[in-house]
Amino acid sequence: MESNRGRSTGSTGTAFSRRWVLGAGASALLTTGLSACGSGEGSGGGGDTVTAFVYGDDAVKVQTAAVARFNKSAAAKSTKGKVKLEKIPGSDYSAKLRTAMGSPSAPDVFFNWGGGSIKAYQEADKIVDLTDIIENDPVLKNGFLPSVLAAGDLKGRHYGIPMRGMQPVILFYNKTVFAEQKLQPPTTWDQLLDINTKLKKAKITSFALGGSDLWPELMWLEYLVDRIGGPEVFRRIQDGDAEGWGDPAMLKAAEMVKQLVDDDAFGSKFTSVSYVNGGAPAVFAKGKAAMHLMGSWEYSTQLGKFPDFAKSSLGWAAFPKIEDGTGDVRNVVGNPTNYWSINPRTQNKDAAIAFLKDCASEAYAKDLVALGDVPTTSNAAALLSSAPNPEYATFQYDLVQQAPAFTLSWDQALGDELGTKMHTEIGKLFTGKSSPSEFVSACKGLK
Amino acid sequence: MSSTVTSGGGRAGKIRAGRPGAVWALPAVLFFTFFAVVPMALAFYLSFTKWDGLGDPKPVGLANWQKLLDDPRLTQSLGITVLLTVASWAFQTVVALLLGVWAAGRQRNRAVLSAIFFVPFLLSSTAISILFYALLDPNFGIIQKDTLGSSSGAFLAIVFVGGWQFIPFHTLIYQGGARQIPQVLYQAAAIDGAGRYRQFFSITLPQLRHTITTSTVLIVVGSLTYFETVLILTKGGPGTDTAILPYLMYEAGFKTYDFGYASAIASALVLAATGLSLVLIRLSGFGGMRSTREGM
Amino acid sequence: MSHDTLPRPTTTDKRPERQRPEGRRRSRHWTRRANPLAGLGSIIWLVIVLVPIYAMLSASLTGPDKALTGNPLKPPTDPTLDNYNTVLSSGFWHLLSNTVIVAVTVVGIVLVLCVPLAYVAVRARTRWSGAAFRLFLLGVAIPAQAVVVPLYLLIAKLDLYDSLLAVILPTAAFAMPVSVLVLTGTLRDISEDLYEAMALDGASPLRMLFQLTIPLAKGGISTVVIYAALQAWNGFLFPLIFTQSDEPRVLTLGLFNFVSQFGVNIPALLASVVLSGIPIFAVYLVARRALIGGLMGVGGK
Repeated sequence: MESNRGRSTGSTGTAFSRRWVLGAGASALLTTGLSACGSGEGSGGGGDTVTAFVYGDDAVKVQTAAVARFNKSAAAKSTKGKVKLEKIPGSDYSAKLRTAMGSPSAPDVFFNWGGGSIKAYQEADKIVDLTDIIENDPVLKNGFLPSVLAAGDLKGRHYGIPMRGMQPVILFYNKTVFAEQKLQPPTTWDQLLDINTKLKKAKITSFALGGSDLWPELMWLEYLVDRIGGPEVFRRIQDGDAEGWGDPAMLKAAEMVKQLVDDDAFGSKFTSVSYVNGGAPAVFAKGKAAMHLMGSWEYSTQLGKFPDFAKSSLGWAAFPKIEDGTGDVRNVVGNPTNYWSINPRTQNKDAAIAFLKDCASEAYAKDLVALGDVPTTSNAAALLSSAPNPEYATFQYDLVQQAPAFTLSWDQALGDELGTKMHTEIGKLFTGKSSPSEFVSACKGLK
Repeated sequence: MSSTVTSGGGRAGKIRAGRPGAVWALPAVLFFTFFAVVPMALAFYLSFTKWDGLGDPKPVGLANWQKLLDDPRLTQSLGITVLLTVASWAFQTVVALLLGVWAAGRQRNRAVLSAIFFVPFLLSSTAISILFYALLDPNFGIIQKDTLGSSSGAFLAIVFVGGWQFIPFHTLIYQGGARQIPQVLYQAAAIDGAGRYRQFFSITLPQLRHTITTSTVLIVVGSLTYFETVLILTKGGPGTDTAILPYLMYEAGFKTYDFGYASAIASALVLAATGLSLVLIRLSGFGGMRSTREGM
Repeated sequence: MSHDTLPRPTTTDKRPERQRPEGRRRSRHWTRRANPLAGLGSIIWLVIVLVPIYAMLSASLTGPDKALTGNPLKPPTDPTLDNYNTVLSSGFWHLLSNTVIVAVTVVGIVLVLCVPLAYVAVRARTRWSGAAFRLFLLGVAIPAQAVVVPLYLLIAKLDLYDSLLAVILPTAAFAMPVSVLVLTGTLRDISEDLYEAMALDGASPLRMLFQLTIPLAKGGISTVVIYAALQAWNGFLFPLIFTQSDEPRVLTLGLFNFVSQFGVNIPALLASVVLSGIPIFAVYLVARRALIGGLMGVGGK
């Protein structure tokens, strides 16, 4: 959940179609009248101001620029609305959004991951169904890649407007280290193991891994399972069949993880390294680790923190093939993008919708490209040549375009309740506290 | 004057005139009830519901309590909490007791060192946790080891960080206590030929027993609140090896949005804490009619 | 030991005059004797206290380019205050002033509510006053964490979410039990004779409270002030759950957010920790005696 660049779990939860009302026992305790002494100092909601909650990381400058642009625009005048951006530190975005949405200071517009992450909001009637609005608005309807727009759907209905770049998981490598050690990025698993052996002799850690955040560990499992058994393995689990964890591909992937850990492929201290605080990127950029399996945002993270490294030494490759696996090597895992959604309680829905339309603008897409991201707008391909690194932008774009399957991050697909528990089990697998078979049976029991 | 005051009947009459009504306590009682007692009751109510923070709490009977009993993580968490409390108690008591007795001496160097020893207590627990999180960074800290990534390392780090912050405070309590031990006891013991260590065990320790109880109460209650230290240093990890009860509850509530289950854990915590406080109150005589100056 | 009944501390003030000549010599014999083992122990603890503080100060003065490569235990080659500027320009003053507001308000609420309560608990002889006292007694060990979910519900219902009041009110409530204990303890030490003397003068309970009880309970009151202020100063969970925006953010939560904002920019992160400690360090320098005395009071003195 704590992640850079909008990767996160979603949230499931139980359906309550009724409005937010206290249960009988609770309201008896909260005697009437006491609720009248509220001060109403909350930040959201009222008047014409549209409050937007956004995941506060390095990429937030694109949204900051969009807000400035919108507040000066004719649309802001005609809807009499101004947008106020609330940047929520990434490590607890989901929790902050959830607690704020349950209070009178709820935001009007909020960042999310689509799919599983908004299920609870949809069931509690806390999110606007945008399907008809998009259908009747050419700017929105034609502005985005249809597949990305649909990737955040719930039961075929749109609830969000894509607002960040596409985020496939990529195998990054340090070109300087690879050149010094005379290595080539691995295209097969055997090559990867071979590289690990060589790097170990040179006393270099093969892979940076922010193990204390848990979700970077998940990326390994996602790709391994996909390469071994194809996207169907997780699809079954996502569709609610916990027995899917018992698929042989899952056990095989867990065993391969254990082998990597035992071979010191992640070094001896990955458990206490964090991605979120910049530890893992620093280890990678400083050459202490040779490779880093990470979402595409790693490029802009490095560009922000170690620009020289990002410009001259950062290399990228697709996840290698596994020899006897049945998954297509072109398959991708990760996040399609992030979305803006609207709270039905907003006082100024027109302004909120007008603000969302800015995401389809060329100016917005250009800001994303300048940051090193690949927008999910229909005009993206034409803009890539102006990227800080057109080669990287094109690689990413092609990777996603050509992928037969784009598997959603498992935590996001499953939602917060299951996702958090799955993270815990994955953490135990990586630290050796559970064996591969214990991992599989623990996951089968998750509910 | 004195005759009026001491005579039984007159005394009662006069005093009744000068006593405040219980109504003066009402604002405090109402405030505390609303922000502490009602939430406790509410936690109990919520423990019988399923609630994700967005919809309505929906009654589910004993499901959360059943889950509580079956949850292996709860058992583990309970064990960690007890272990952490005991380890913190041992660490803080031993160090603070020795330092406090030592600092009770009036020498100038002791006064100067005591003033320095106190400095960690001036930082908030959040600040201290962040300080050690930075110093223990496996790649960029001063101890570049996988300290927080190993179960024992993470556990010891939490015990150490808690001690680093709170030992100054407990040292102070012991210093105050040791200064009130009558010198005549040591003089008598010295005449009897008792050595320094003999004096420590047969005079200092027994004389400090009330101080030890007070300090123990504060450590035990305090170690239930190591939440931010755990959140910042280990997030309950590696795996689930440092997930103390308050952290487990936080995770259930604000990571998986299972507020009903979180409330069941919270209710169990309240019950345990109430039981504990009853025991401690009895042990320490906190609530009795004692004067504050006793018990040091 | 049997040659004398154990003197209670309360009687020690009479003792020195009678025993001074011998006592001083003897006490020197006991306390001034060199104690190498204890000396060694205290030096070890000194190192344990100082090394992290030194590493923190040293790292906070290190330039960002050297931050990831240098050894934090070596003094920085060319110290810089840039990290402090970074922190100060990241809204530090705002965080600090919020914390001060919370601390002052919490102390105010606790005093206004607890002093009368303790006064009643000690002076009133009704069943209700005893019951009120026992209510707080039970609250002593209740961890605030345990009620954070229902408190969130309450705070949201009262429309206090994301305001300073959302932090202040529960913090004050949970500072009350110990405050009540400390105050009742102090108030019990006030001699009955003094009240009786005032009663003879026809003083009302209110006048007794202000002219007798409060002046004589200064020690306990200052303990409560320090204790309640520390609760506010240290408070983390309530701000974490009950606030989210910049406006009501307090120092502890601000520091927590710096962890992800500054990340492995350890110098800036540690500069923020140093800055967070400076205000209370200043209080310590100016009013060490009062602070120490007050804190000893939490321990039951």
